[in-house]
Amino acid sequence: MAERYLQHTFANGLTIVGQRMAGMQSAAMTFLLPAGAASDPADRSGSATVLADLVLRGAGERDNRQLTDYLDSLGLQRSASVGVQHSRFGCAALAAKVIEGLGAYADIVRRPHLPQAGFDAARDLALQALAGVDDEPRQKLMIKLREWHFPSPYGRNTMGEREDLEKLTLELSRADFAHRYHAQDSIISLAGNIDFDEVKSEVERLFGDWKGPATVPLTLLPPPGRFHHIEQASEQTHIGIAYPSTLETDANYYAARMAIEVLSGGMSGRLFTEVREKRALCYSVSAGYSSLRGIGSILVYAGTSNDRAQATLDCVMVELHRLQQGITGEELQRAKIGLKASTIMQGESTSARAGAIAHDFYMRGRIRTLDEIKSAIDAVTVEHVNAYLKDHEPGPFTIVTVGPKELKLP
Amino acid sequence: MLSFHQAQLPNGLDIIAEENPDSYSTALGLFVKTGSRDESAAINGVSHFLEHMMFKGSTKYTWEDMNRIFDEMGAKYNAFTSQEMTAYYANVLPEFTEKALEHLSHLLRPAIRPSDFDTEKNVILEEIAMYLDDPGHRLYEKLMEVHFGNHPLSMSILGAPESIIRLQRDQMAAYFRQRYGPGNMVLAATGRLAFDQIVALAEKYCGSWPHVDAPRQQPAPLYKPQRSDMFDTKLNRQYLMAMMPGPSAQDEQRFAARVLADVVGDSDGSRFYWALVDNAIAEDADFGFYPHDSCGSFYLALTAGPERIEQALKIAIAELEKIKQDVNDEEIERAKNKLASSLVLQGEVPLGRMRSMGGQWIYNKEYRSLEQDMATLQAVDRKSLQQLTRDFPFNPMTIVTLGPGSGAQG
Repeated sequence: MAERYLQHTFANGLTIVGQRMAGMQSAAMTFLLPAGAASDPADRSGSATVLADLVLRGAGERDNRQLTDYLDSLGLQRSASVGVQHSRFGCAALAAKVIEGLGAYADIVRRPHLPQAGFDAARDLALQALAGVDDEPRQKLMIKLREWHFPSPYGRNTMGEREDLEKLTLELSRADFAHRYHAQDSIISLAGNIDFDEVKSEVERLFGDWKGPATVPLTLLPPPGRFHHIEQASEQTHIGIAYPSTLETDANYYAARMAIEVLSGGMSGRLFTEVREKRALCYSVSAGYSSLRGIGSILVYAGTSNDRAQATLDCVMVELHRLQQGITGEELQRAKIGLKASTIMQGESTSARAGAIAHDFYMRGRIRTLDEIKSAIDAVTVEHVNAYLKDHEPGPFTIVTVGPKELKLP
Repeated sequence: MLSFHQAQLPNGLDIIAEENPDSYSTALGLFVKTGSRDESAAINGVSHFLEHMMFKGSTKYTWEDMNRIFDEMGAKYNAFTSQEMTAYYANVLPEFTEKALEHLSHLLRPAIRPSDFDTEKNVILEEIAMYLDDPGHRLYEKLMEVHFGNHPLSMSILGAPESIIRLQRDQMAAYFRQRYGPGNMVLAATGRLAFDQIVALAEKYCGSWPHVDAPRQQPAPLYKPQRSDMFDTKLNRQYLMAMMPGPSAQDEQRFAARVLADVVGDSDGSRFYWALVDNAIAEDADFGFYPHDSCGSFYLALTAGPERIEQALKIAIAELEKIKQDVNDEEIERAKNKLASSLVLQGEVPLGRMRSMGGQWIYNKEYRSLEQDMATLQAVDRKSLQQLTRDFPFNPMTIVTLGPGSGAQG
């Protein structure tokens, strides 16, 4: 049987990862560039976001409209976004169309026109999106929670700050492009009905002579504080809690991850059961693991009417602390099968796999096969999870709330 | 290769399945042709509230069992309620097919215990409050209410706090008896499965369910041009939606309508994109097609600064006028290519395919293969779009706005 996984780093520092998926007609591509919000220049937050829009407004031989029309004519389902660590471009369609579209993506990341009119519009749209955050308190809460939890600049709002966006100019954006869109540490990931020889030589042809400066390492600074309340006349009080967890690459990762599944995996998870099903304190309550390179965290959210907010916060905190007393064999069993099923079902989506193997390479420098992940899940025992939990008191907590009234903190 | 099967149990339960031997999972869904449009004002919100109560236990199981048993299978399970249908589904690894179907069958025979009913009322009230912090949702609710007037499609899915507080347990039980049963529902299965087994299991677990005839009122909607402005100084942005008549879910023109929606209002490369978003007049400008049972709608949605919203609306309306006069072959081809890609991608994921098949059956009692959908889509051309815009010329139009702007015409 032919190889199912591909991993290759070219001399210029660009890596291609791939997964061949039997029975699929489609393919999906994920392109990660080392241009996330964390590496936005100090007083130019939001620069990566403006750039990710601007590079799509004409590249190579095609002007703005020709480029969009061309990508549309291939039927590509596209996405472009900026995270803390990367700018990300993605597409999915019939496999042959995705391969055909690679040339246009090479133009986008290497030869964008970066026109003045496009810059003005991209910056205007970024400012509009930022203004909309105040209208959606849940989104606002999650942005603030990251800002107050993560060491700076990892906590930065990917959308940028108004003052910084207003100062941004086309010249600064062009300089930022030259600085951060480069082969070194970029990852191109393809999954689906693909031929490894074909995609590898196509990527080499399109990106082999791509150069540019090396990535500059970040200096981390502590976040502004632990507790923060934002007063807003919202219908509900929105509560965010964050605390450190094990790294995704640590030997304890699956033990920590299982504990979070017990807390908030399925609807029988402890948070859902205690906060919603038993006490009906809220509709939405959840906890999840968040992974950045070198930083593992647990992020918790609950949205509840203002008069129940204190009870909700108290109840959530009780559950976070109770976890340290350990989980039962039955809870672990459910957590394992849930995570395993998700892992297997990920194999049904080319987009999910393209994203996952790109993430894997970034975090570990290698791809994990689905079988490897399944084995790691199988190997977790109750003893391991409980020993981990006993040694790791949850906290310190960062707590951010958005609502009309400040809550009493634990 | 996908293959389709169908059967009907003696009690009238329709069973449809699409087998995909390349899938790693099985998706099962029970779709009921009932929703907020089948409610009277006195019990508004009961369909959605009942959907919640299904997870609160059957005669055999408690609420804790309901969630726990699904989680023991590692199932991805949930439910949703719209104006016209309510669906319950689980996506599992193939070895759990019987257990999942058995559990879905218990799920749909709810006990509706009074104490659970009272507790869950609070969760529903929280859900209503949550959506009040979401401007898009507030606007959509208002749009449906104003556009459909006295027609049952104007009924809110969640209901109002007052109707939820008033609702009695026995009213819900009566609604369940009238609406939930073979004759008004379908079991849809996709992914890796053996059809004979699905039929045998359905007979075993759902064969004793009493047949229900649940006719639906189909009054003709009375459309008229109208506008409603909601003034909210707490918001930064101005949100606008408009709705106008379009083809129904049964109308052959629905395929052309989907292509038209893409040409006019897709997020990339559409008429609205170039006229409104590329130049940043609006942050978002969508145009979509929303087919209902026996009637249908086109809608447009704009988000912009309060000072730009009227300009944006004028431009959007001008674009709708233009598309009636001229639509070119290239843009139709591009839209078709994008839609074809989304069909292929959806076909590879059992959960997506199951939702599409079940929904289709609820409206038309018809199965359409991906190849049929693809062929019908490919047959859409300039003539079909011209006919469509003659039959549905985007009026009368209902306009609703929400935000800090004055809301005055001008």
